[in-house]
Amino acid sequence: MTDDKDVLRDVWFGRIPTCFTLYQDEITEREAEPYYLLLPRVSYLTLVTDKVKKHFQKVMRQEDISEIWFEYEGTPLKWHYPIGLLFDLLASSSALPWNITVHFKSFPEKDLLHCPSKDAIEAHFMSCMKEADALKHKSQVINEMQKKDHKQLWMGLQNDRFDQFWAINRKLMEYPAEENGFRYIPFRIYQTTTERPFIQKLFRPVAADGQLHTLGDLLKEVCPSAIAPEDGERRNQVMIHGIEPMLETPLQWLSEHLSYPDNFLHISIIPKQTD
Amino acid sequence: MAEEPETMLQLPSTPAAGGEGLTDVSPETATPEPPSSAAVSPGTEEPSGDTKKKIDILLKAVGDTPIMKTKKWAVERTRTIQGLIDFIKKFLKLVASEQLCCFCPILLEFIYVNQSFAPSPDQEVGTLYECFGSDGKLVLHYCKSQAWG
Repeated sequence: MTDDKDVLRDVWFGRIPTCFTLYQDEITEREAEPYYLLLPRVSYLTLVTDKVKKHFQKVMRQEDISEIWFEYEGTPLKWHYPIGLLFDLLASSSALPWNITVHFKSFPEKDLLHCPSKDAIEAHFMSCMKEADALKHKSQVINEMQKKDHKQLWMGLQNDRFDQFWAINRKLMEYPAEENGFRYIPFRIYQTTTERPFIQKLFRPVAADGQLHTLGDLLKEVCPSAIAPEDGERRNQVMIHGIEPMLETPLQWLSEHLSYPDNFLHISIIPKQTD
Repeated sequence: MAEEPETMLQLPSTPAAGGEGLTDVSPETATPEPPSSAAVSPGTEEPSGDTKKKIDILLKAVGDTPIMKTKKWAVERTRTIQGLIDFIKKFLKLVASEQLCCFCPILLEFIYVNQSFAPSPDQEVGTLYECFGSDGKLVLHYCKSQAWG
């Protein structure tokens, strides 16, 4: 029988087959072959693409290289969003592999944050975890951890070490015995059709009468267009980690099992494909 | 980050100006700060009523960072953390190369705990206010050095 813990592994080891191609206007000394890579859904672009960078820099002159950035069909890819989120939101309806274009010039200042070092990724990641725990536990669990525990979370993600990561992360998934869940659920809802970057609000996992709130309850409250129309063919898909969880799924369960390593549920609302 | 030519921060309003926004309630501030070059105009309005409303932000300096004479501001919800940081830097007359970090403290019982998180530069203050505001305002700490991990 499948254990809930198996879900944690499936989420962690999710991969997206990706083909990286150098932008045609980049100046090269030789032909640049595309580079193929399986990207971890739960990680960040600039954390896992050192090999991609090296591959293309081999055919370029030093003076033509500045900060690397990635783009999909004209949309610059935010490195500080998890890879799986970017794919679900922008490319899940297209055929695999995911075709990403690599740039070394004309960094789009208006669309992307700079990523000066791995330390910047670590700082961003840890800050997201702290924000998630602020919502779940008023920061009490993450603040009680030692610095080495924080480091272990980061190293676990960086080195793709599931056990190392979850040895510490499991503490962030606990809640007081007298409660039925976290204080608030860390979630962000993304749509390409709106100007807003994402929706994030306070939402409790348990109702006043003790009933567990579901994914459907959340969407009805903070993003009703995602599940419209209620009586008829839905216009959108609600996607997390490439799957569409049933709307009846308890939000507390989703938070414990389908969160990204930063402890947030990153939810994509994408238009349904009409065949 | 994006260069935003006009800030949406509203200066403390004098009685003559009236209207929305805050006057600084602390007695030490006798007169409002003179408008910097980056000041204010109501700016372009968002179409939706929700995003039009401004939220109150209370800015607190930590570490060896200069303190702003005016601490309380009315800010458009869609203003990003980067936009806020740029404004504080201009207000404090810091040079562009000086780093300024913004942290969101967490209210635990009746006090704010020091350890907190640094919101991403592209995060909107409106979202932070919804999730971490209390008593009708969002408290944000700012500092020149990386005071906390």
